[in-house]
Amino acid sequence: MARLRYIDALALALREEMRRDPNVFLIGEEVAQYQGTLELSKGFLEEFGPQRVVDTPISEVGIIGLGIGSAMAGLRPVCEMMRMDFATPAYDQIVQHAAKIRYMFGGQFQVPMVIRGPSGVGLQLSAQHSQAIEVLFAHVPGLKVVVPATPADAKGLMISAIRDNNPVMVFESLRMYFTKPDELEAIQPGLSEVPDDPDFSVPIGKANVLREGKDITLVAYSWMTIQALKAANELAKDGISAEVIDLRSLLPLDMNTVLASIKKTHRAVVIQEQWPLYGCAAEISAQISERAFYDLDTPVLRVTGAFVPMPYAKNLENLAFPTEVDIVAAAKRSLGGK
Amino acid sequence: MAKGQTAALDAAKYRRFYEQMVHIREFEEECLRAFQRGGHGIGGYLHLYSGEEAIAVGIIGALDLAAGDCLIGHYRDHAYALAVGSPPGPVMAEICGKYDGCSKGKGGSMHICDAERGFYGGYGIVGGNVPIALGLGWALKYRQQAGVAVCFFGDGSMNQGAFHETLNMAQLYKVPVLFVLENNGYAMGTSIERSHANTDLTDRVGSYAMNRKKIDGQNIITVHEEVSQIVADMKANPAPFFLECDTYRFHGHGAADEAKQTVVYRTKAEIEAAKANRDPIAIAAELLLEAGVITDEDIVRFHDEAVIAAKAAVQFSDDSPVPPADELLKDVYA
Repeated sequence: MARLRYIDALALALREEMRRDPNVFLIGEEVAQYQGTLELSKGFLEEFGPQRVVDTPISEVGIIGLGIGSAMAGLRPVCEMMRMDFATPAYDQIVQHAAKIRYMFGGQFQVPMVIRGPSGVGLQLSAQHSQAIEVLFAHVPGLKVVVPATPADAKGLMISAIRDNNPVMVFESLRMYFTKPDELEAIQPGLSEVPDDPDFSVPIGKANVLREGKDITLVAYSWMTIQALKAANELAKDGISAEVIDLRSLLPLDMNTVLASIKKTHRAVVIQEQWPLYGCAAEISAQISERAFYDLDTPVLRVTGAFVPMPYAKNLENLAFPTEVDIVAAAKRSLGGK
Repeated sequence: MAKGQTAALDAAKYRRFYEQMVHIREFEEECLRAFQRGGHGIGGYLHLYSGEEAIAVGIIGALDLAAGDCLIGHYRDHAYALAVGSPPGPVMAEICGKYDGCSKGKGGSMHICDAERGFYGGYGIVGGNVPIALGLGWALKYRQQAGVAVCFFGDGSMNQGAFHETLNMAQLYKVPVLFVLENNGYAMGTSIERSHANTDLTDRVGSYAMNRKKIDGQNIITVHEEVSQIVADMKANPAPFFLECDTYRFHGHGAADEAKQTVVYRTKAEIEAAKANRDPIAIAAELLLEAGVITDEDIVRFHDEAVIAAKAAVQFSDDSPVPPADELLKDVYA
C-alpha cells in the first residue's frame, strides 16, 4: 500500500493503462507540452510521444468527436477536459452521439472512450469553473458517470473506465487533487492508501461503505464523501454512529448498497455539492421512498448547495455549497435531536 | 459535360455505377410511395436522396472498403448503405422499423449503418457527424494505415461550430478525412443565400489552408475520376481534403414537406428544370451511351430490375417482424 495524493493516483492509472494498451491515448488542451494544467500528465509526452499524448486547440467539440470516431474504429481515447465544465460545449457530441450510437445502430458499434477532468465546487473559481454538472450527464442512458472520492478509487475507477467498452465520464474532484495523504489519514486511517497490486481496479457500479455505523446512513460522492466522513467523526463525539456510503458512480447507481444500509440504520441523509432540483440526491431520495419506505423511521433528508450560479466572494461562496457542519445538522435533525 | 470525358472509361465499373444509381433512385421513390401509402411502418422522418445519386456512388466507388477506407453520413443516408453494398431488404426494413432492419429497427431512416462494410452510420444532428469523421480518420493515421475516411454532409452543416472545429483540427493534424459537401442549395427550407454570408462555400474553407475543390456533383464521371485521384493523393500523403459537390435534391427536405416546399421556399419550375437538366441518371445515361459502356436495352433492363428490387425490399420488410419487446432495453450498454 502506498499513500498517494489523488492526482498522483489518477496519473498512475493513466500511465499504467497507456503502457499496457497501445490503443490508449490521451488528448486534450495542454496535456502534452504543458504537461497538463495541473501537471497530471507530467512526463507523459516524453514517455509516450506526440502521437499518444496530443495537444489540441481549444475545441471541445472536436476533441470529443475525435474521441468518438476513433473509439468506434477500435482505439481507446482518453479525452481530457481542462475542467469538466468545458464538456458543456460538447454536450451534443456526448449526449446526442457518444451515448446513443450503440443503441440507435442496434448494437453494431461501441464507443469505448473516457471523458475526464477535474470538477466540483469551491476554490473561488466562480460561476463557470466551479460547479457540479455531473447530474446533467447522469440523466442519459448510454453514458457511465464516475465520481471517485478517494485516491484508491481515483486509480481503480480510472483503470476500469479506460477498459470499459462504453463512453465513461470521470468527474475528478479538484478539491481532492492536492489534498495531502496525511490530511486524509487524519480524517480516517487508510483513506489515502492505494494498493500496489498491478491488477488493482475498482469495478464501476458498486458503492463503497467507507465507514460502518448503525444510527444513520450518510450517502455522498466525490468531495462530499470526505465531508460526510468528517461529519461522521463529529457525530461520533455525540455518540451517534453514522454509516458513510460513497456512491463511486452516479450511473450506474448502486441502490442496493444504500438500501441495505437503511435497513440497518432506518435513517438517511443524501448529500450533493450543488443544485437540489432534479439532482442526484432527489433521485436517491425518491428511490429510497419507493423501495424502503417502511424501513425508514424519519423522512430522507437532502443536503445540497444553493440554487444559484457559484458566487466569487469567499463569504458568499461558503454559503453556496454544503460542508460537514450542514451534514452534522441534517443528521441530528433526522435523529430528532438525539 | 466535359468533352472527351468518356475516352477511356472502365466499362464494367461504370456499368455498375449506373446500375447502382438507378437502384438507389427506385429504392428512394419506392420509399416515398410506401410512406404515402402507409401501412408499412414508416413513421417520423424520411429524407430522400433522389437527385444526388452520382455523389454517393461515384465517391464510395473510389474507396477500398475491404482495406479499411470508411465513411460516415447524415440523415439522408439510405444511398450510402446501398452504395457500400448493403442488401436493400434490411435497409428498407430499418426504415420501416422492423427487426430485420440493419439497426434492428431501433434507428430508423436516419440511422442506417453497415459496420461490416465500413459505413459508420447516418446521424440526425446537422453537423454532428463531422467531428466523428475526424476520429475515424485519426484511427487510420494512428495505425499508420493508408486509408481515408469520407464524411458526407450538407450545406447546413457548414454553419455549425462543430464543422469549423473539425476542419481546423483535421488540417492541423493532417488527418486523412475527405470532407464531402453535398451542396443541394438548401438547408431544409433555407437557401444558401439566406444562410451563408459568403455563398462560395469552398472559399469559406480557404481559411483552414486545406486542399479543396468544387465539382459538378451531377456527373458520375466527374465525381468518380476526381475523387479517385484525390483519394490516391490522400493515401500517398495523408491530409484532409474538402470537396464541394454541386447538386440538387428532387424531393422536399423530408417526405413530410413534399407539398409544402413549393409553397414556402422554392418553385415548382426550379425543381422541374433541375429534373430536366440536372438529373444525374439522365446525364450518366447520355455519357455512358456515347462511350458505348451501356446500351438502350441496358437502360430499360436496369430500370426494370431496380423497380423489382425496390418492391422486393418492401416485401422483405413487410415479411419481417417488429422488434420484440425485450429489445427495448438491449444495446444501451456494451
